[in-house]
Amino acid sequence: MIAEALERVVREEWGRLVALLLARYRRLDLVEDALGDAVEAAARAWPADGVPDNPAAWLNTAASRRVLDRLRAEAMRQRRAPLLVTEAERGRERRGAMADTGDLVEDDVLRLVLMCTHPALAPEAASALALRLVLGVSTYDVARLFLVPEPTMAARITRAKKKIVAAGIPFAVPGADVLPDRLDTVAQTAYLAFTAGYAPGSGPDLLRAGLAGEALRLVRVVRALRPTEPVLLALLALMLLQHSRRDARVGPDGDLVLLADQDRGRWHPDEIDEALALLRALGPARVLPRQAAAYVVQARIAAEHATAATAGDTRWDRIVTHYDALLEIMPSPAARLARAVALAEAEGPLAGLAALEEVVLPGSHRPASVRAELLVRAARPAEARVAYEEAITLCRNEVELQHLRGRLAALAPPD
Amino acid sequence: MKRYLILIAYEPWDWSAAPEEVRAAFFAQHGAFSAFVAEHGQEVASAALDDTDTATTVRHVDGEVVVTDGPFAETAEMIGGYYEVELPDLDTAIAAVRLLPPSYSLEIRPIVTIT
Repeated sequence: MIAEALERVVREEWGRLVALLLARYRRLDLVEDALGDAVEAAARAWPADGVPDNPAAWLNTAASRRVLDRLRAEAMRQRRAPLLVTEAERGRERRGAMADTGDLVEDDVLRLVLMCTHPALAPEAASALALRLVLGVSTYDVARLFLVPEPTMAARITRAKKKIVAAGIPFAVPGADVLPDRLDTVAQTAYLAFTAGYAPGSGPDLLRAGLAGEALRLVRVVRALRPTEPVLLALLALMLLQHSRRDARVGPDGDLVLLADQDRGRWHPDEIDEALALLRALGPARVLPRQAAAYVVQARIAAEHATAATAGDTRWDRIVTHYDALLEIMPSPAARLARAVALAEAEGPLAGLAALEEVVLPGSHRPASVRAELLVRAARPAEARVAYEEAITLCRNEVELQHLRGRLAALAPPD
Repeated sequence: MKRYLILIAYEPWDWSAAPEEVRAAFFAQHGAFSAFVAEHGQEVASAALDDTDTATTVRHVDGEVVVTDGPFAETAEMIGGYYEVELPDLDTAIAAVRLLPPSYSLEIRPIVTIT
């Protein structure tokens, strides 16, 4: 119970806590450690004292104390009065620092996002860092999104934090002249975060709707600065369409409900309408910059589902055409896999299986899972059994695991 | 405040053969950079370097000191000069170096104190 409460606070409040502490102390190296220590302290104290009325505030206070302790220890080592050190440094920074007058957006989380997505950081490092610091995604889940081993990802994140401190990447909103260039990376970061919420790699929740909702909030915050930026509008449309299905994706027992079986009455029509309006305003993908175009095509695919009254009304032929366009604009194994699924719906399981041969997605259970489904439809249960077993060994998400085990059990027993 | 070394690299060219407008533009751009730095921090040091064909490299090879003609690394771009500056953060440093001549490639490297 306590563990769940703590986990929830960490998931939902991590970015705000990091941003608040950074705004006050300006020391990335100290802030994340202090927050980690505070979480450990909470894990020890809350079982005895009970969950506090305001858990986030408790963590903030605990982390602040630890940061101040470290600052004092540093000042002692340098043999200067601690208060003077901090004030003096802050004073110099206020006089010298550029651009961020605090007028653009009073949002420390945005400052944190922009710091994490700074062009001086390698792109994969930036996305990983933003997920870790802004949205509190576990290193394991971040690793899964990037399809790399966990130690590799941990090292990447550590290096990125060191670069921020060493190179003096500021915690600030950049000038209006460079802000547009910074937005593509922010969009990519937000979408990665959204995907982590949509189908996370580990743990019991099929949907961490809070994380997905947070990623959506991130995009809205950035869009408020740049209301007509195509990449943000396209991404928002895509996210809204996917997010609109959240209440239908999980059944009453917490099990996975496939798109075809979802109760469409539980989809959120206002979010769908908002997304469709955005798509109408954006127009054809081919005139848009590459990243915006990719999001638009994916949004149009999601819109095909959203506008089909029943699963049987879905225009899979149009979806396949959209995937063809997507593979031209921005090819990826995930898109190739999704196209194979669509092709199976449009032209039958054998067409889907043939397309699946070209899908390489190491470490993911999804190709095996799809293959299993198509083999069942193609009336090849023995091969389907093998594929389900393969998928089960690879899957780390408990709700999806349950679904796969159910499907395996539903197969006729082997002769 | 952070201290940075800004390394200036460019493909070798003949300054003496450059027309007056080109030289004037270079001076103006360096002037704009210096003014910007002074506004946000300070310029600690700077120097223009003579061409790489005037360089001498010294290395230890198999226990011997070897002296050779030429720069450390033979590259298309040569290091032609540096600025040492004190500025609040990387964004300020980037904004400053953008004012320098566009033919430059610039590396912004933080300076560390060895204790």
